[in-house]
Parts: sequence; structure tokens; C-alpha cells
Amino acid sequence: MNTENSTAGTSDHPVVITRIAEREWQALADDQVVGCGDVSPRPDGRVFLSIDAWHDAVFDRLAAAMLAELPRPLYTVVDEADRDLTSNWERVGFTVRRREWEYVVPTDPQVTGLDALQPPSGVTIVLVGEAEEGPLRALDRAIREEVEATVGWQAMPAEVLPRPLGTTVLYPSKYAVAAQSDQYVGMVRVAPLTRRPRIGLIAVLADRHRRGIARALLAQVLGSLHSSGIETASAEVNESNEAATALFEGVGAQRAGSNLELVCR
Amino acid sequence: MTKTAGGIEVEGTVLECLRNATFTVELQNGHKVLAHISGKIRKNYIKILPFDRVLVEISPYDLARGRILFRYRN
Repeated sequence: MNTENSTAGTSDHPVVITRIAEREWQALADDQVVGCGDVSPRPDGRVFLSIDAWHDAVFDRLAAAMLAELPRPLYTVVDEADRDLTSNWERVGFTVRRREWEYVVPTDPQVTGLDALQPPSGVTIVLVGEAEEGPLRALDRAIREEVEATVGWQAMPAEVLPRPLGTTVLYPSKYAVAAQSDQYVGMVRVAPLTRRPRIGLIAVLADRHRRGIARALLAQVLGSLHSSGIETASAEVNESNEAATALFEGVGAQRAGSNLELVCR
Repeated sequence: MTKTAGGIEVEGTVLECLRNATFTVELQNGHKVLAHISGKIRKNYIKILPFDRVLVEISPYDLARGRILFRYRN
């Protein structure tokens, strides 16, 4: 357990920063917890930090203690609307690496314009929960290899990052797929949250792009959600992903916010 | 209501999502606080929406402010 004292804190009360566990730091003033820091390694090996403190000075002390002991690069995520927190991280050396838009996606076919959409010729949509696990995992691996050869998965959501077994299709019941010629060629992952389901991933094999397969997948899952009485879903799209942005905005999705991923190298 | 090492933690219900990444939360005792989300919630992409039941840590420096530590499954 590493401990250091500092008077930089709250109204001249000494603040003591302590690493209380391998991945946890704590700031104490007058025996009261006034801040805490946490480390979370992602499956791809990247390390994400979070710090909660009631005062900027305590934030800075925690950040300094954590940065001194952890290998770079280090990452964090902030809501872009939270200007104070963003500036805190920037003050201690973090810079913006990428932006992810949060979309609210309507499900009503009359609003999305997907009511009359049919899958491309020769393509059938296998409903959520009805995909065969083996071919689904094969599709996941194929798409993963394609993406790693181009933009890389580091811009992908945490839940699709590599796992030890080399596959991320952990819950096949959450996927709908597009099938063509006895092969799965596209998939969409829907987390069935009751409050607002989340479209966590939509992907199509590279040689089947620009044929409307992703749009057909989206039409199926959104229509299904609408039939269940759910009016909106959520999705996050990396700012640089023009195809996904066009796909979601094309069905009337509205930007509801944005997250910034920051890095300290 | 429980007193923990980190402060006072109280259950509440999210009334409103405000523009600057803060939320109005009505506590069990009827008081309303302005709350941010904790770093762990943000890091795990957990979404907070109106009517969510949440656990809030009240600031020891300003009882009208808090931090959302946990979102309960409704």
C-alpha cells in the first residue's frame, strides 16, 4: 500500500492519497474519503482510468498518484457535455483520441422509412435468437479479421473487443443475421434492455458491402422492437465511421450526446 | 440511508437528464439533488434515463449535489 501526504486539497485539510488495492486509489481528508480512483483493463490490454473527486485539487492529486505508478498509454472516457471533467483530464495530460456519437433510433417503420424495405435478392434475415451459433461465430471471426486488417477494433465498443478465445459472440441469442447462399454474411447485436434496447454492433462482410444488407438487418430488428411496443433504441457510432453514421441518420436517428475517449501517452 | 466511508448513500429516482451530463434525482426523503455519474458507470457505458432507480452518494460539501454510483435494474 503506497501512501503520500499532501495539503493540496480541501480547505487546507491534508489529503492523503493511498493505493488501497492493485486497481484502486483513495483520497482521505480528516479520515473521510474525498475521492477515489479506479483502473479497469479492457480485454484488448488497454487500461482505462476513472477518478471521482469532489474537488479539482483532489482529482489532480489522485491523477498524479495514478499516472506515476501506471504504464502508459492510459485511457479514459468522458461525456463530452461534462466540460469540467473533460478539462480535469486534459489538465493532467490527457488528449482527445476519438469521439463517439450517441444516437436515439426510432423503431416505427413509418418514421424510419423501412416499412417496405425488402432484403437484397438472395439474402434472408434470420431473426434475433434464431441464428445458429457455429456459423455466427465463424462470421464474427471473419469480420474481425477484416476489421483488424483495416481500421482495427480499438475504435469498437468495449463489448466487441477481443476475448481470450478469439471470439466475442458471447450471447448468440442477442444476434440477428443476414444469410446468403448458406453462409452468414452480416449480423446485428441487440441488447434487449427494457428501458431502451441498445444496438451494440452491426457488421457485414467486406465483399457484401453496399448492397443494403445492414439496412435490411436494421429494418428487421427495429421493426421487431416496434412490434413489441418499444419506441426507440440506442446506438453509438464512432465519429469517423461515415457508413454507420449514414446508416443510422438515414433511418431518422437523432444525436443525443457524445462520449470522448481520451489518452495519456 | 447508509453512512459509508465515502459519504452518505441514498436511493433515488432520476427525474430529468440535464444538458451538462447531470441529472436531477429525487431521493427517498423527497429531496432533490443534482447528480453526476460516477467514473465507473461512465467507463462501463451504463446509460441513465428518467425513472431509473439509482444509488446516489451525497457530497459532504454540498448536500444538494451528488454522484450516481449504481443503477438498479427496474
